[in-house]
This record gives sequence, C-alpha cells and structure tokens, in this order.
Amino acid sequence: MELTVKKENGTLTIALSGRLDTSTAPQAEKAMEDNLAGVTQLVFDLDGLSYTSSAGLRVFLKAQKHMNRQGSLVLRHVCPEIMEVFEVTGFTEILNIE
Amino acid sequence: MSVKKRKTHLMRQVAGLFLVGIVMTGIFTFIMMYLDTNRSVKSQAETHAKEISNEVALAIREYPACKWLLQYWYDHTKTLEIEYDVTFTEADDAERPLQTKQKSSLFSERHPNIQLRYATEAQLKDLPPEDQKLYAEIAYSWLITRVNQIKRTYSTSFLFCVATDETFGTQVFLFSAADEGAKRGTKYEEVYPLGHTVDVDQSQKEAMCSAFENSSHSSELADAGKYMDFYAYFDTIGDGHHVLIGLTYDLQSDIMAQARRGTIFSVAHQFVLSVLCLGVMVFLVLLPLKKVQKSIRHYMQNKDSAEVIKHLSKLKSRNEIGQLSEDTIEMVKEIDNYLGEIQLIAAEKERIGTELSIASQIQEGSVPTVFPAYPDRAEFDIYASMTTAKEVGGDFYDFYLIDDDHLALVMADVSGKGIPAALFMMVTKILISDRALMGGTPGEILTFVNDRLCENNDADMFVTVWMGILEISTGKIIAANAGHDDPAICRKGGRFEIEKSRHGMVVGAMSGMKYRDYDFCLAPGDKLFLYTDGVPEATDANNQMLTLDGMLQALNLSPAGTPDEILNTVRARVDAFAGDAPQFDDMTMLCLEMKEANESVQTLKVEASTDNLAAVTDFVDAFLEAHGCPMKAQMQIDLCVEEVFVNIANYAYSNGGDAEIRLHAKDGEVTLTFLDTGTPYDPLAKADPDITLSAEDRQIGGLGIFLVKKNMDAVSYRRENGKNILTMKKRIHSEGGTLK
Repeated sequence: MELTVKKENGTLTIALSGRLDTSTAPQAEKAMEDNLAGVTQLVFDLDGLSYTSSAGLRVFLKAQKHMNRQGSLVLRHVCPEIMEVFEVTGFTEILNIE
Repeated sequence: MSVKKRKTHLMRQVAGLFLVGIVMTGIFTFIMMYLDTNRSVKSQAETHAKEISNEVALAIREYPACKWLLQYWYDHTKTLEIEYDVTFTEADDAERPLQTKQKSSLFSERHPNIQLRYATEAQLKDLPPEDQKLYAEIAYSWLITRVNQIKRTYSTSFLFCVATDETFGTQVFLFSAADEGAKRGTKYEEVYPLGHTVDVDQSQKEAMCSAFENSSHSSELADAGKYMDFYAYFDTIGDGHHVLIGLTYDLQSDIMAQARRGTIFSVAHQFVLSVLCLGVMVFLVLLPLKKVQKSIRHYMQNKDSAEVIKHLSKLKSRNEIGQLSEDTIEMVKEIDNYLGEIQLIAAEKERIGTELSIASQIQEGSVPTVFPAYPDRAEFDIYASMTTAKEVGGDFYDFYLIDDDHLALVMADVSGKGIPAALFMMVTKILISDRALMGGTPGEILTFVNDRLCENNDADMFVTVWMGILEISTGKIIAANAGHDDPAICRKGGRFEIEKSRHGMVVGAMSGMKYRDYDFCLAPGDKLFLYTDGVPEATDANNQMLTLDGMLQALNLSPAGTPDEILNTVRARVDAFAGDAPQFDDMTMLCLEMKEANESVQTLKVEASTDNLAAVTDFVDAFLEAHGCPMKAQMQIDLCVEEVFVNIANYAYSNGGDAEIRLHAKDGEVTLTFLDTGTPYDPLAKADPDITLSAEDRQIGGLGIFLVKKNMDAVSYRRENGKNILTMKKRIHSEGGTLK
C-alpha cells in the first residue's frame, strides 16, 4: 500500500493506493490520527486502491466518527470493487462518497 | 576410573613384610635355641655337678672322723642344737658366730689335747656323750658354712647331703646349703634342716641307686619336673645307710633364659638389618620413583614435556629406575609428537568435513527440491525426497519437462557410497538430462549414457536407472529399466502394486548394451512410486529388512493421499521400523500423481499469524490464477481469506499454533477450507451486524464474517477431531465450464 498525506488550511488529504488490509490498515490509521488536530475536512483519495477488507472499513468508520465531531469526511475515486464492499456493509449510508 | 583402589605405600608393605619376618625368625630362633640349649645345658650341668660333689666330698673328708660325724648326725637329728648359716670367713675368726665360738672354746678347754679340726674317731668315741654332742654341733656348723661357700661359688639351686636306706625309698637330709638369707624350712623349695625326711619319686630313686651301684664317685641326673637332681655316692655309714651328696639344678629356667637371650639377640640383629634395608630402599628406590611419578602426574595435568624432561634428567641413577625415567622421557616426547599429529589430523578432518558439507549442499541442489515443483500444472503432482546415509550419496532422482507435454522421470542408484558414488552420480545425472533434452526414448537415452559412462570407467562403478518419459496429455509413459527396482503403481481408488518391467543391464558396466523401452499408461487419479533399494532394505536393530512387502504395506496405509503425504507416510514407517539402528544405504523416493482433469487440490499449512497473511494470499492467488479465476471473484475470495485467516490468527490460539488452508477446484467451483486446532469457535453463530445504524452507533466487530457470507456462495462450519473447520465455496466459472 502506498500512502500520501497532504495537509493545508484545515483540509487533510490522505491518498491511498494498493491494498488496504490487516497488515496495512494500521499505517493508514496512524497517518490519520497523527494529523487530525485542527482538521475540518478530511479527504480520502482512494484512486489506485483496489482492495479493502474489514480492517480498512474500521479505519473509515473511525474517521467518520472523528469527523462527525470536528468537520466532514469525503471519499473520492472509489473503485467499483470497493464500492461493492461499502454497499454490502451498508457503509454507503454513512460515508460521503463522491 | 570407576573403581577406586585403596592406596597403599610400598614402604608400609615392605615394613610389614619385614615385621612378619622378624616375628617368624624370633619364634624359630627361640624353638631352635631351646632344643639346642636343652641338650648342652644338661651335659654341662652333669660335668659341673661332678666337680661340685667332689669338692663337697673333699670338704667332708677334711674331718678325719667324718664317718663318725655322719653317723652321729644321722642318729641325733632331734637332739642336736645347730646354728645354721653363719656368715664368716676363715680369714676373720673374730666374726665367727658367738655360739659356735663359745662351744669350740668350751671344747678346747675341756680337751686341750684334741685339735678340733683333726679329732679322730677314736678320740671322739672316748669322750663323754655331752662333749661328743658339742663336737658334732661345732663340726656341723663349720661344714655347713663351708658348703654354703661352695654353693655360692657354683650357684646351684640346691646342694645337700642325704642319707638313705638300702631301698632308696626316703631321704633323710643331713645337711643342705643355703644362700645368704634363704629361708630354712620343711616346705617345698625351702632349704631343709637336718633330719628332714622326704619321699623320693621313681627317677630320683633310680638316680640314687645308679649312683650307689656304679662307683663311689659316679653320678646321675634325675628329672623331677622343674628341677634336675644329681646324686654322687659318698659312703655308707654304720647301720647300712648310704650317704649321697645331691645337687639340684633349675635347668628349665636356665634353658629358657638362654633361649630368650639368643632370641632377643637374633631379633635385634634382624631388626637393625631391616631398618638398614628400608633406609636403603627409601633412598635408592622410593625417592627416585616418587620423582618419576610426580613428573608423570605433572605431565598428565599440564602436558608440559619440557618440565618433565628437566626434572627427570636430574635423576642420575643407572639402575632400573634410571631406565624408567629415561623411558618416561622418551614416552613423553612421543606423546607430544602424537598430540601434534592428532591436531593436524583433526584440522584435516575438519577441512574434509566442511568440504563434505558443501558437497552435500551441491548434491542436494542438483536435484529439484522445491515443492510443489509445478504449481501451474494441474494435470499432475510430483513429490520426491532423498535421504543419504553419509554426507553425500549415490542415489538420485530427477524430473524435468522436456517440452510442454513431456515430463522425464529418473530414479537411479550408484553402486557404492560416499564421495566416489556422489561423483559418479553427478556425471550420470548430467549425462541423462543432457541426452534426454536432445529427444529420444528412455531406451535410446540409456544406451547412449551407458556407452559414454563405459568409455572411461576405470573405477568399475555402475548405476541402476529407471527412466520414464510421461506424455502428460495422454498419461502414457515410455520407460526403460537398467537393473533398477520395479516401480509401484496405484490405480485410482486401488492399492499400490509392483509393476513388473523388462530389466536391462546396469548402466556403466558394459559398453554396447541396448536398452529396450516398455510402456504403460497412467489414467487420471493413478499414482506412480519410484524408489531405490534403501527403502525395502532398511534394517531394524535385529538386522531384519523392511522388504518389498513392508514397503507396499507402508504405501497402502494411505494410498489415496497426495504424493507428499504418501512419501511422508512411508518415511515415518521406515523410521519407526529402523528405530535407532544405523542405516547404511541412501533412501530415495519419488511419487507422481496424475490429477483428474478438472480437479485440483492444494494445501498450505502456516503458523497462524497476521505476518503470514501475504503468504496465504499469494498461495490462494496463485491457485486462482492457475484456474483462470476472474479478477473480481479473486478479489472477493482474497477478502474472505483475509477475514477468516486474521480471525484465526487473532483469536484461535493463546500460545500460537498452525492454520491449514486447503484449496480445491472442480468443475468451475472453488472450495476453500480453513482448519485450526484452536479454541472451538463458530464464527457463523454470531448475528449479522445492523448495517442501517448511524456511524456513531456502528460496531466494527462481525463485519468481516458478514463480508465473507456476502461474498461467498456457501459458508459452513464444523468441529471435527479437535479442529475448527470452516468451508467456503464460490463458483468462478459458469456451470460446465473448464478451468482452462
């Protein structure tokens, strides 16, 4: 998994590509939590992310819970396979997917 | 040293021996001295006694009226008033006892004409009775004093004069000499006074009789127990009584004293000699020996030969101990040499060991050892193993694809073992594989290889080879057997049996041999087992062989298993059979299974840890790709594999354990089975999470299994033989589609 973090003017953008699974999810979670202070908008750019498991879902759920308190969360460039996972698990109902 | 010997000292042992010798000598000397002195003392005493009795007889005869006196004493034993044992010397008359002195003055006054000393019997007879008594008392006193002197001079035990009748039955003591201060009395061993009468025993009687009969001066000894009596006949007095002079010797104590003296002298002599001897031994033997011993001990501890040589060179003695010390020096030098040699040998051995270990690695690397060998080939599964008795062996197996549809199989056993066999094995293996890639049947290949090997085979080695070429698409095998064991074949659902084949000559023995091909077919589900004679000829502790039947039994323990399982079963059976008995032959096995065209099984067993997730995913992906699984389905399956495996890794074990993943593909459907031996847990029993809740109320737990259920066509759980078994099925091709 590759991970890029960009933070400017209260907007934190985390770009993920590759596979978000049990072994890589902790990285993504740490990158998010380390940079969350003062963020009002969190963007997950999933361009190039081809796979996520429940470990990835956990990261997104955690992110949503944080941003419910301090701003908003947006997921971008979600591929159909991952979209299907979100749909199956009802995550489409709670996540803002553009 | 397991048995600890009690330490003794040479010194003590020798001293002990000497002591025993001294005691023995003492006893022997005493006995000999006793026997010897017994004789000599007796004869001495006899001579001695004659002289004394003569002297006593002379002393008596000095009185002219001695016969009259003896008779008078004998007749008047009761009435005489005698003063015994007066000490005085003739020279000093003043010291004569007053009583006797008074008597003699009185007598001289009354009879001035009679000289006391020289009174004759006639003169005395005319005297009045009281003067006769007076004279007898005076003479007795004088005579006793004289006899006492004689006794003192000659030191006899007793010296006496007795009167006896003609029968010699009793003795009446006339006088008896006494030492100064000796007690006079009538008890045994006291000095008897005048007139004391004793009975005599037989020997005394005989002695007295003999003394009387032989002559007036003859003598005899009478053995009377402790004392020896001597008698000399003196005279016969008036009324027929014989007067004898007697002496008594305490021979026994004399003899004992002499023997004791002699023994003490001899023992003392021996003792001094022994001490001298021991001293010499200490200086000449013990001290040098100790030096040698100390040096040897020092060498044993420190292996310092220079020190030993320095020490022992100081020992200058030229005797055996000197020789011993020289020999020890030589021995120490030789041990040093040997130690040096042993170090060299050890180093050399280590080098050879290292080389052998590398050679072993090269040999192992020369045959395919990575399994599954052809994970992308669903048509067959192959597994092989090789166990060498030494570091390197002469067995080998080999298999390789000649082209897409032809798989070459080789099983061979070189005569002999160790490095020569290993070298020959490498040559054979390379020749066969090179020639096989040029095309041709096994018969042609072996014919070629045989000729090449025979060209320069000075070592007269040979190799038995079974070689087959499998046409994968049809299952037909063309094979040739050069003196090798016949392979075993298991038809689908059946049991392993030996497939007899036409045997040719071993390869490398004789050039110009032609090897003939034979062929047979393997149908899907059939298995072929190749081996070397190390398997049936494995021996147990009693030198009993496993035999071909034993090997078949082992094969048929689980004929339906995968090639990997079958080889492991056989190996476990052989190991159990052989026990601790050393194996002398290499053991090589190969098993080939023809897969049923549309069925494929693969198994992976890994430690249940999230670190192994990538390995599991790769294993599953490779399988799915080999079966042409579409990307989307593969991603869904990957997701399920991760969820299930991570679950096992995180929750099944508290102290770690394994997870096994079995993949099975048949008729376009993939079955994934996860097995673990952890805590019993049915993931399907949990209710599905509510996916309509808001983000704040959502729980992440249960989502993984929920995803598995959603992505798979069927999921089931069962607990069996202590294992959690989760089975998932997913169709990856439409019904009736092929895998490829």
